Amino acid sequence: MPSYTLTVNGKSHTVNAAADTPLIYVLRNDLNLMGTRLGCGMSQCGACAVLADGKEIRSCTTTVSRLAGKKIHTIEGLPGLWAARKGKAETPDTLHPVQQAWIDEQVPQCGYCQSGMIIAAVDLLEHNPEPSVEQIRSAFTNTPPSAHLCRCGTYTGIVAAVQRASKAIAG
Amino acid sequence: MTNLGPVLTRRSFVKVGGSLVVSASLTSSFSGTQVDAAGATTLDATRLASWLELKADGSIVARSGKTETGTSYTAFCAQMIADELDVDPAKVSMIVGHTDETPDGGFSAGFLGGAANMRKVAAYTRVALLELASKQLGAPVANLSVKNGVVSGGGKSVAYTDLIKGQQLALTIPVTGKMPVADPKDPVGIANLMGLTVTGNPPMKDVTKLSAVGQSHERPSLRDLVQGKPSYSGDVKVPGMLHARMVRPASLGATLVSAGKLDAAKFPTAEVVVKKNLVAVVSPNEWEAVSASRQVAAATKWTDWAGLPGSANMTKALRAAKWTPVGGRGDAAKADAAIAKASKTVSATYEQPYSRHAPIGPYVATAEVKADGTVTVWSQTSQSQGARAHLAHILSVPVEKVVIRWAQGSGQYGRTTYGGDGAMADAVILSQMLGKPVRVQWTVSEDLAWSSASPAWVADAKVGLDEQGNMVGFKSDWYAPHQNDARMIGAVLAGMPTLDPKTKPLFPALSTVWPYDKVPAANENAFQTEGVASESANGGLRGNIMRTPGQRQQNFALEGIINEAAAAAKADPIDFRVKHTSDKRLIEVLRSTAAEAGWKNRPSPSPEARKTGTTPVRGRGVGVVIRSGAQWVGIAEVEVIPATGVVKVVAFTTGVDVGKVMNPRHLRSNIEGGTVMGLGEALFEEVTFDQSKVTSTDWTKYRIPTMGDVPQVKAVFSSFDDRGINGGGEAANTVSANAVAAAFFDATGVHPRRIPLTPAYVKSILNA
Repeated sequence: MPSYTLTVNGKSHTVNAAADTPLIYVLRNDLNLMGTRLGCGMSQCGACAVLADGKEIRSCTTTVSRLAGKKIHTIEGLPGLWAARKGKAETPDTLHPVQQAWIDEQVPQCGYCQSGMIIAAVDLLEHNPEPSVEQIRSAFTNTPPSAHLCRCGTYTGIVAAVQRASKAIAG
Repeated sequence: MTNLGPVLTRRSFVKVGGSLVVSASLTSSFSGTQVDAAGATTLDATRLASWLELKADGSIVARSGKTETGTSYTAFCAQMIADELDVDPAKVSMIVGHTDETPDGGFSAGFLGGAANMRKVAAYTRVALLELASKQLGAPVANLSVKNGVVSGGGKSVAYTDLIKGQQLALTIPVTGKMPVADPKDPVGIANLMGLTVTGNPPMKDVTKLSAVGQSHERPSLRDLVQGKPSYSGDVKVPGMLHARMVRPASLGATLVSAGKLDAAKFPTAEVVVKKNLVAVVSPNEWEAVSASRQVAAATKWTDWAGLPGSANMTKALRAAKWTPVGGRGDAAKADAAIAKASKTVSATYEQPYSRHAPIGPYVATAEVKADGTVTVWSQTSQSQGARAHLAHILSVPVEKVVIRWAQGSGQYGRTTYGGDGAMADAVILSQMLGKPVRVQWTVSEDLAWSSASPAWVADAKVGLDEQGNMVGFKSDWYAPHQNDARMIGAVLAGMPTLDPKTKPLFPALSTVWPYDKVPAANENAFQTEGVASESANGGLRGNIMRTPGQRQQNFALEGIINEAAAAAKADPIDFRVKHTSDKRLIEVLRSTAAEAGWKNRPSPSPEARKTGTTPVRGRGVGVVIRSGAQWVGIAEVEVIPATGVVKVVAFTTGVDVGKVMNPRHLRSNIEGGTVMGLGEALFEEVTFDQSKVTSTDWTKYRIPTMGDVPQVKAVFSSFDDRGINGGGEAANTVSANAVAAAFFDATGVHPRRIPLTPAYVKSILNA
């Protein structure tokens, strides 16, 4: 099997994997990063979203061979991403403001889709720091390749949490 | 056992490291990378040790067989325990769902019953602690008070932790009931699904004295979830584990002709496993298992089969089925006579399709069947003890040999309540055959085709009105395949022993409380039939319960005909309901929800209603339900574009009276989420199938609501101390579809009698 060097959450990892292996299997099985959840495997639901160079990608269909040289961040890497942005050292208590907002609003029900929702929120706020309610709703619905689906229907809570995180980031 | 006398059987103290109670092998709840050896496989539920542990640091560990489904049962249990013991709810952690670490069994829907057990156990513990404190402080129990785990009285005080330092209290917890066991006489095939109930009447706090209950206490697992820590049943890693992907039959009734040959050069560590019609591909590498399973599936041959009616013909097929009466209420002759004498009658037939639980994460299970016959299964089932009994039955081993290790799963909304369905059978069968731990991950397409489903319904309803527009008679007949089929498809395909589901309701067939008690004559009748194609090799469409089972379907028809009757009476739909009920709480919720939604008093349809045109026309509608002691009201505002048949819900307000609100944030979340699910049922959700197989097998074909599909839901509720604590977790979806249908009528003047309101269906009724 070919080997690939991936930069995940600020660390470099060399993994052996078939070229067509979707990133999610490497994250979960080789790198033991279980926070990225497998949903549809077809880029239709968003549960598996991670950041590649700051933009959301779907790890269930993006193969490892396409990710060389990209900086990948998973849900586990968000505290580090935030600490780096603020020029501070990451501690075990560090949370990204989006994660903190998700706690403050108590967004999750079953929670299975929420890693992907949080990644999508980080991407949105990076590019549009003060989105309106309609812009938030549109971002989670219309951004390719698909809407982010939540079967528990936590959408109202997600909108509130994104607004809260937006305020927190603006500080 | 009705009083406290016999409960404190003895007070023997032994040195046990600072805990009030200690039980065996309680080292962890769940960890993604560590797997504990299973100790004893059943706890003694009469021992306090099996329920509650008071630690030397003041923290409390509580154990419940009922689990966290996302409705925040674990938060509420902590709040209940905190109130009965007067401690901070943040000090209470929960171990839930492991069959070897929890005492009581039962299922996780309707968590009021589960929390009732925990509440009584905490109350018994408080009595025991106060007796100890009374001796130590030299003050009578009646003079003691407790705050933050410190007992005060007689001018002195002592903390719980000091009270029990290095000692154990032998406290007997009175319980009744039995643990689940496979039973061919049971409608599902597994008896005792309710598990054990704590009995007796320990003194418990009056609802007005509850202080932890009523707060928006955070669920214990919340922080782990948002940090992506291993939390789910699919996150478990067992050493030596193989990954499996299943190769399913070409149709719901097909049998295996020949399994495809594996391309061993391309997939060197994969293996094909076959048992009768069960086909799987396993590999130590998950992606190899995925890729190899696709190659093998393409080369696997199955017999032809075409025994389904096709979803488009479902109502016709139901009409032709053989029906078994499963319950009724009210006097049929009296209702018939009242309707015959009425000055006006309204009648209609309502149809609902098969729908699905449709979790975002498809079924996953990991099993390790060892040579010594012990079976460990990691699962997200909401009925761990039932699943344990079910798997023991499938493998023909004693229940004691089986341990379920529970972890959270993607929301399932009732489909594992009966201890069945899912990937567990696939996993245990493969593990037994291979002698290795096996993790089975279904795909979404497999889940949307092969899991059990909520059956289609047909209902006939009729109302008689007098000259003043009062309902004088009501009659309805409900028809649906039964919802008792919790068989696991892996066992069916492998020809292993399975359950024998029967047409008999587990809950009252007429589950919906009749809200209109002022109607002088009402009669309802329920009928069930076998599952569609249940006689086929693979069991056909397996009917199972789903969120607010029965009530949701009944209520679509019940509230549908009430809306039609209100229109025929030219009455405002809310006034019409108020006129026919004496339920003051329902009337209150109707009025408060209407006020929040900006409801204008007038009959439907709207003066602007039209059924043609390319611009949107607006309407509003209402639906109600009484469920688990709570009164629910949904008010929808919709826009319909008649030319395209597109229906958009632009506003939705859901009101409820649950009595005492246990946790405002979580109630709000359950209202919002339930409403969204109900809007999916109203607008999109339908399991489609041709004559051989399910065809709605991805998220473009089985559509669930996106954020943009639904409005920001408004939740309306107040907390009342004098109305008990009632169910708020589940039923919001039951007032969505009927409110949307009523709003559609308001906008167009045409009554919808089927959901979902797809553009094709809408155009067909507007053009009729």
